[in-house]
Amino acid sequence: MATMLTAFSGDDAVFGHFGATGGYALAARRAMYEFGTGPETWKKIAVGQRKWANLNPQARMYTKPMTEADYDNAKWVVEPFRLPDNCLITDGGRAIIVTSVERARDLKQPPAVIMGMGQQHPSTEVAQSTWMAGPTGAEKAGAMALSMAGVTLDDVDACQIYDCFTYTVEITLQDYGFFRPGEGRDWLEGGTIEPGGRTPVNTSGGLLSEAYFMGLTPISEGAMQIMGRCGQRQLGPVTHTKRPEIILCSDNGGVLQSHSCILLRRL
Amino acid sequence: MATYPKPLPKLNGDSSFFWEGCRQRELRFQQCAACGHVRWPPAFLCPQCHATEVQWVASRGVGQVYTFAVYHTAFHPAFTADLPYVVAVVALDEGPHLLTNVVGSPPDAVYCEMPVEVVWDEVSETITLPRFRPFSTSSRSLR
Repeated sequence: MATMLTAFSGDDAVFGHFGATGGYALAARRAMYEFGTGPETWKKIAVGQRKWANLNPQARMYTKPMTEADYDNAKWVVEPFRLPDNCLITDGGRAIIVTSVERARDLKQPPAVIMGMGQQHPSTEVAQSTWMAGPTGAEKAGAMALSMAGVTLDDVDACQIYDCFTYTVEITLQDYGFFRPGEGRDWLEGGTIEPGGRTPVNTSGGLLSEAYFMGLTPISEGAMQIMGRCGQRQLGPVTHTKRPEIILCSDNGGVLQSHSCILLRRL
Repeated sequence: MATYPKPLPKLNGDSSFFWEGCRQRELRFQQCAACGHVRWPPAFLCPQCHATEVQWVASRGVGQVYTFAVYHTAFHPAFTADLPYVVAVVALDEGPHLLTNVVGSPPDAVYCEMPVEVVWDEVSETITLPRFRPFSTSSRSLR
């Protein structure tokens, strides 16, 4: 593990800087300085997603509820990140089958249709980055996907956001335009992203609390929700949320170096 | 000198001038001969204007903490005794951002935009690492 991380980290390892947690911690700390976010905001993301995982029998954290106090008492990994700010490490797989709408109409399962997508890749390595507190690639990628789909954020019923760390969820939603810089904490207040909330986010538990299948955790959950295959976590009457017509999914790579956004809708 | 247990930088054609500078206790950066941009990491062309002509400049070794992270986990066993330790991106006055450590300060006293100055850590016969400490009053009078 140490050998692999050391090789992966290059000369950063000389200074004891390893892997993704440290890189995103640098970004999150800069965001704390620039727009006043911090653990009080990220706690609502970690705890909110855990509530979804507690409705998902496939989730690693299905039987492990987490309170805000549990979050506060969790150990630091790389400060400002505590353990529940970090995603899981998982062995397993996910698959998505993509076909034409014409063929999909004849299938047994109702399909989720791709209505728009966008990508933007700022690329700069995190130590050289001057935008680690945003706007990340999410800003342009999101605008591109919404434009292609011909809809606005108001039309989005739920989001499946790539959540390698809690901060990634905040900066992604912020850059998409759900709230202005630093207003995430207020936006999240009152269970916005939780079961019963007005904008459900990461309804499987996400990478933080379901399983880490890279970008396939969010997009497979987006498709499953549109298809109505999510059991007790299904968006709609079961979870006191709106039956989803449109779900936004994101993915990002490196340390906020690349970003993809995709919008799925009911046929 | 006892065998140094932590990872060491891998010198190559692009970076050896930097590490040779460190050995002589000087932070040397490439500077584009066309547009003047001071860059890090080393590269064969300028990321601003794409010119290939290059010279190097010596940094005064003074800057500010752009951002930082406090490690409470040792991902490599040789860092266990250092916990908690600070990894920081320092924005040098000349422009480049350098990934390094902040030492000589309790981790909870470090903050973004904190003024810092280079301090040299000779870890082997060939490698001296640039780390940073809070900017001292005596150094400040020299600015």
